[in-house]
Amino acid sequence: MRVADLSLPLLLAALVAVPFVFGNFTAYQVGLFLLYGIVAQGIALCWGRVGILPLGQALFFGLGAYLGGGALIRFEHSPILLYPALLGAVLVPAAVAGAIGLLVFRRNVGSGPYFSLITLALSMLAYQIALGADWLTGGYMGLNGIPPLPGTDPWSTLYWVILGALVLSTGVLLWITRSPLGQLLHAVSQNEDRLSFLGFDIARLKALAFAVSAALAGMAGALYAAQQGIVTPQVLAYVLSGELLIWTAVGGRASLIGPVAGAVLIGMLTSNLRDTFQYWEILLALLFLAIVLFAPTGLAGLVAPLLKRLPKRAHAVRDVERPLPDRGDPPTLSFEEVRVTIGSVRILQGLSLELKKRGLHCLIGPNGAGKTSAFNALMGRLPVSGGRITWGGRDITGLPAHKVARLGIGRKLQVPAIFHDMTVGAHLDIALWSGGISGWELLGQGAFRYRNEILGVLKEMFPFLNDEDKRAGDLSLGHRQVLEFALAVIARPEVVLLDEPCAGLSTQETADLIAAMRKIAGRFDISALIIEHDFSVVEELSDHIFVLHQGQTLSEGTLEAIRADHKVQAVYTGGTK
Amino acid sequence: MDASLFFLLNMGYGVLTLALVALGLAVIFGLLGVMNMAHGEFIAMGAYSAYAAQSAGLPLFVSLPAAAVVTGAVGWLIEATVVRHLYERPFDTLLATWGISILLREGIKLLFGVDYKSVVEPVSGSTGVLGIDYPTYRIAVMAALLVCFFLLFLWYRKSHASARVRAMIANPELAAIVGINTERLASLAFAIGAASAGIAGAMLAPLVQIEPYMGINYLLQSFFVLVVGGLGSFQGLFIGSGVIGGVASTASAALGGSGGYVTLLLVSILFLWLKPEGLYAGR
Amino acid sequence: MERRDFLKASLIASISAVTPRLALAQSDTLKLGFLFPKSGPAAIFGPSSETSIKLGVSQINAAGGILGRQIEAFTGDAGGAPSDTVQAAQRMWRSNGIVALIGQHDSASRAAVIGSIHGQIPYIFTALSEGGFCQPGLYALGETPQQQLGPVIPYLAKEKRASKWYLVGNDYDWPRKSNDIAKPMIKASGGNIVGEEYLPFSVNNFDTTLSKIRDSGADAVFITLVGSASVGFNRAYASFGLDKQALRLGTLIEENTLAGIGAENSKNLFSSVGYFDALDTPAALAFRTPYYKTFGKDAPVLNTASEGLYEGLLFVKAVFGKAGSTDPKAFAAAAEGASYQGPRGQVTMKGRFVNSNVYLATAEGAAFKIIESFQNVDPGTACTN
Repeated sequence: MRVADLSLPLLLAALVAVPFVFGNFTAYQVGLFLLYGIVAQGIALCWGRVGILPLGQALFFGLGAYLGGGALIRFEHSPILLYPALLGAVLVPAAVAGAIGLLVFRRNVGSGPYFSLITLALSMLAYQIALGADWLTGGYMGLNGIPPLPGTDPWSTLYWVILGALVLSTGVLLWITRSPLGQLLHAVSQNEDRLSFLGFDIARLKALAFAVSAALAGMAGALYAAQQGIVTPQVLAYVLSGELLIWTAVGGRASLIGPVAGAVLIGMLTSNLRDTFQYWEILLALLFLAIVLFAPTGLAGLVAPLLKRLPKRAHAVRDVERPLPDRGDPPTLSFEEVRVTIGSVRILQGLSLELKKRGLHCLIGPNGAGKTSAFNALMGRLPVSGGRITWGGRDITGLPAHKVARLGIGRKLQVPAIFHDMTVGAHLDIALWSGGISGWELLGQGAFRYRNEILGVLKEMFPFLNDEDKRAGDLSLGHRQVLEFALAVIARPEVVLLDEPCAGLSTQETADLIAAMRKIAGRFDISALIIEHDFSVVEELSDHIFVLHQGQTLSEGTLEAIRADHKVQAVYTGGTK
Repeated sequence: MDASLFFLLNMGYGVLTLALVALGLAVIFGLLGVMNMAHGEFIAMGAYSAYAAQSAGLPLFVSLPAAAVVTGAVGWLIEATVVRHLYERPFDTLLATWGISILLREGIKLLFGVDYKSVVEPVSGSTGVLGIDYPTYRIAVMAALLVCFFLLFLWYRKSHASARVRAMIANPELAAIVGINTERLASLAFAIGAASAGIAGAMLAPLVQIEPYMGINYLLQSFFVLVVGGLGSFQGLFIGSGVIGGVASTASAALGGSGGYVTLLLVSILFLWLKPEGLYAGR
Repeated sequence: MERRDFLKASLIASISAVTPRLALAQSDTLKLGFLFPKSGPAAIFGPSSETSIKLGVSQINAAGGILGRQIEAFTGDAGGAPSDTVQAAQRMWRSNGIVALIGQHDSASRAAVIGSIHGQIPYIFTALSEGGFCQPGLYALGETPQQQLGPVIPYLAKEKRASKWYLVGNDYDWPRKSNDIAKPMIKASGGNIVGEEYLPFSVNNFDTTLSKIRDSGADAVFITLVGSASVGFNRAYASFGLDKQALRLGTLIEENTLAGIGAENSKNLFSSVGYFDALDTPAALAFRTPYYKTFGKDAPVLNTASEGLYEGLLFVKAVFGKAGSTDPKAFAAAAEGASYQGPRGQVTMKGRFVNSNVYLATAEGAAFKIIESFQNVDPGTACTN
C-alpha cells in the first residue's frame, strides 16, 4: 500500500477541482460514481484482501439506500432523530452482513463459491421483497420524493459530503490495512488453515471484513438516496452487483482507491456512452475480459510498478518484548478409542494414546496408518464418530481448530503452510500475536514491533529469519519448513504437532532443524508429537514412540522396545496384516 | 382426476426440461469446476440456431445437431482462448465467463436484432394421453428426454470415456500421469457442456420466448438445480430438478407467482448454507 | 445525413459535458430530448423509436420547425435503472439545453425523472399508464386502462359473449391498477371474475397459471403481462389449446410481441390500444406511408411505443406554437385544450391527459386486423392542479 501514500492526496485534489473545472453537472455525475466507488472499495476489501467474493453487494447498498431514504423522509424536520437514523443506515447493513458472515463461515471451511452464491441469492431475495412489499418500500415505484440532506443541494453542495464520505471510507480502509487486523485479514486469503492453527477465528475475521464492507455500502446507499431523491428496487438488483464487480475488477481488487477509479472511469464512460454509442456493452465486456485475463490486478496494478520506484518508508524496529506464557504441569493429551469413519473407509479404528510427560514423542507407522488423520481429528478437521479426545481432562472432541490452538496445541503441516505473498516479518508478527492480542493492539498502526525470547533463539539459529522483508513464497523449501516450525512454536504452545517436519530437506537442513527442535523443546518446555518416517530422525529425537497401524496404536515405548516388538516387526516387514 | 393428470404431466415436463437446461452447466461446473455464467447464452444460441434453421427452410430436427455443432464450436473456442488460462483462479473464471456472456448476447443482438423471434412447433395440436389432451410437441420432448437421459446414464456408468472423465475429476494430476490427456478432455468437456445447452435451447425453442436476454433465467434455474441436487452425478441432477420443479409448482400454486419465486430462492439459500454439496454428492 | 447530424450533436454534447464552461454562443436550434429504452430487455422498441423520431423531426423541420427554429433532437437511454434514466434526462437538460423532454418508458423511471426535473421543463410521458399522477410539468399522452377497456369490455361481452374473466398480469402497479379499473367494467357488462393472478417478471414456466385458467372455466383472459413474459405465456396458452376455450384481451400486445407469439399461437387474441401498424385511417397513413417510404419495407415495424414518441413531437409542436414561447409556464397554460391531429386521430388534452381514439384489433396470421374503432374516448383521469 506504499503506492497509496503519494497518489491519495493528488487524487483528492483532482476530485476537489472537478466542480470548478467541469461544472456542477459533471460533479453530480462524479459524485454518484464516487458513491458506487465506495461500495467497490468494500468489495475490494473482501475480495482482494480477504479472498471472499461477495456477488450480491447491492444488497447492502440498497438496504442503506432504503433506510437512508426512509429516514430522510420521516425525520425531515427533526435532526435529533434524523442523524441517528442515518447512522442506522450504516450500522444495520453491517450487522446483517456480520450475521450472514458468521452463519456462513462457521459452517463452511474455505472460501468456495458458496458464500458468493449465498450473497447473490440473498440480494435477489431482497429485490423480490422490495418489489412486492409496497407498504414498506414503495414496491415497483420505489421510495419517492426523498428530501435532500439538510443544508445540502444534490446538484451542488452534496458533492462535498460525498467527498467527505470517500475520505472517511479510504481512511478507515487504510487504517485497517496498516494494522495487525489488516495483516490477519490478508493472511486469511493466503492460508486459512495456517491461520486457524495459530488460534485465530477465521469465521470471525471474514465476517468482520464483510461487515465493514457492508457498512461502507450502507453509507454510500444512504447518500445515494439523498442525491437521487428516489430509491427503486434496482438498487438491490444483481445488475448493479455485477456492475460493481466489474468496476472493482477493472480498477484493481487489491487496491484501496483502484475500485473508486474503476467506478468513476468505467461507470461514467458507460453512462455517457450508452446514449450515443450502440456497442458500449461490447466495449465494456471486452475491456473487462482483457483485465481478467491479462491484468488481474486491474488498472491500479498496472500503475503500481511505476510508483514502486519511489523511496520506501522504513519500518519500525522490534522493540516490544512479549512475555512468555508460564509453565505449570503439562496437561495430558489423550485419545480414547477414537474412531474416524469417512463413508465406508475406517481411518481411525479405536485409536488410544496418551501424552503425559514433557518431551519429544514420535508417531510412526506405515502409510495409511492414520497418523496425519489423528492430528486432523485432534484439530477438529476430521469428524470424530466415536471415542473422545481430552486435554488436561477436558473433552475437546470436535472443537474447531482455532479453539484447539488456543488451548496451547500448535501444529506444523507436512507441506509447509505459509502465507506466500506476505513477508517473513509479517509471519513472525502473526505468530507472536497468536499468543494473545487485545482489540486495541489489533487496530494499532505499525507492525514489526513485537519480539520474544523464543524468536531470539530462532533468529540466532536461523539467520535468514532476520531478512524480514523477504516474501515468504520466495524462500526455499528448507527455509519454509523452518519458518513454519517457527510459527508453530513461537507462542510457546504446550504441545506442538509436527507432521514430517524434515520432509524434503537436505541432510544438513535436517540436522539443523532437529537441533532446533531439541533446543527449543528442551529450553522452553514444549512437548512435541512428531510424525516421522526417517528412522535416523526418530533415533535422534525421540524419547518415546507410538507405532500406529490401521488406525490403532500398535505399540509404544522407547526405540529399543519398539524394535524388539514382534508386532511392529511383522507390520514393517510385511508379515501379518 | 383430469386435473391431477395434468398436474403430473406438467410436473414431469417441468422436471425433465429443468434437467435438460441444467445438464450443460452440470457438465461444466461438475467436471471442470468452472461456474459458467455464459451457460444461459449457450441455450439462447441453441434457440436462435433453431430460428435460423427455420428461416433457411430446414426442418426442426436438423436444427438440433446444427445447434449442437454451433454451440459446441463456440464453447470449444471459449475454453481454448479464455477459460483454459483461468482454471487455477475459480473466481476469475466466473468473471471471465460473465464477460463472455455479455459478448455472446451482444453478438446475438447484432446477428438477429433485438426483437422477439418465433419458432414454429414441428408437430402441433394435442394428443390424447390417458384420457386428456396434452400438447403433442411437449409429449415428444418428454419422450425424447427420457430416452436420452437413460442412455446417458448408462454411458456414464459403463463406458471407458466416462471412466476417464471420472478419473480426471477425482485426481487430475494422477490422471495426467496415467496418460489421460486432461487438456483435451477439458476442452471436450466444455464443448459438450456447451453443446448440451445448445440442444436444450433448440428443443425448447418452439415452446418459449426467444429474445437476446432469454438466457439469464435459464442460468438461474440451472444454479438452483445444481445447488440442491449436487454436482458430479446424474442422480444429483435429477434430484435437483425434481426438488426445484416440485417446489416451484407447489409454491406458485399455493402462494402465487412471486411467492413461488421467493420460496425457490429461500430453498436455494438454505441448501447453500446447510448442505452446499447438495443432496447427492457423487464426488 | 440525419445520422451524421445526430452523431455530431451527440459528440458535441459529450465534449461539452467534460470541457470547461466557456461562453458559448447559443445556436439557433430548438433542442428536444427523447427518452426510450435502448438497452436491456425493453430495448425491443429502440429501433422503431429511433426511426419514428427521425421521421418526425425531419418532417417538422422541413415545414419550418417549431417557433421558426429547427429542431435538434437528443436521445437518452431509459432501459436501465431509473437512476440511469434520470442521469440521461439531466444530461440532456443541463448539458445539451433541451427545452422539453419526451419519454416512452416505465412508470418508475417516470416518477424518478419528474422528481428530479420538478417541472422546470415540460415533460411529456407518451407510454401507456394507469393515470392518476399530477406532478406539475408532467403531461401524459398514453392510453389509460379506462380508454383501452371502457368501450372494449362491453363490446367483447356483447359480441363474443365474454362473461367469465380471468385476470393475469405481472406483479407491479400498472397491471394491478388496470385490473382495479377492469373489474367494475366487467361486472357492469354482466360478467364476473373467475381468477386474478400476478406473476414475477422472471418466470418462464406458466403451466400452473394455465392449469388454473383451464380449471376455472374462463371464457376470457385479460392479460397485463409485459415483455417476454407476455410472449411466453401466450405461446404456452395456445399450445395447451386454451385459445379454443377463452379469448385473450391484452392492453400491451403490440407488433413485436405478436411476432414473438407467432401466427399459430395467436388465434382468438385481441389487442386494444390507440395505434397499430395496420391502422389505415387517413391520419394513420399520413404517418405510416412516409415512414416506410423513408426507411424501406424492412424498417423496424411501427407500434404504439414508437408512435407515441412521434406524437410527443406533434404535441410539443402544437403547444409551443400555441404558447408562442418555450417558457414552461406558458407551456402549461397552452397545454390545456391543446389539440392536434396524429396517427391515432384527433387528440385533445384536458387536465394533462388526452382524449383519443382507441382501436380493437385481432391477430390474423402474423399481423393485426382492426375490427372496431372507438372515437374520442375519455381517459377517465384528469389533473386539477
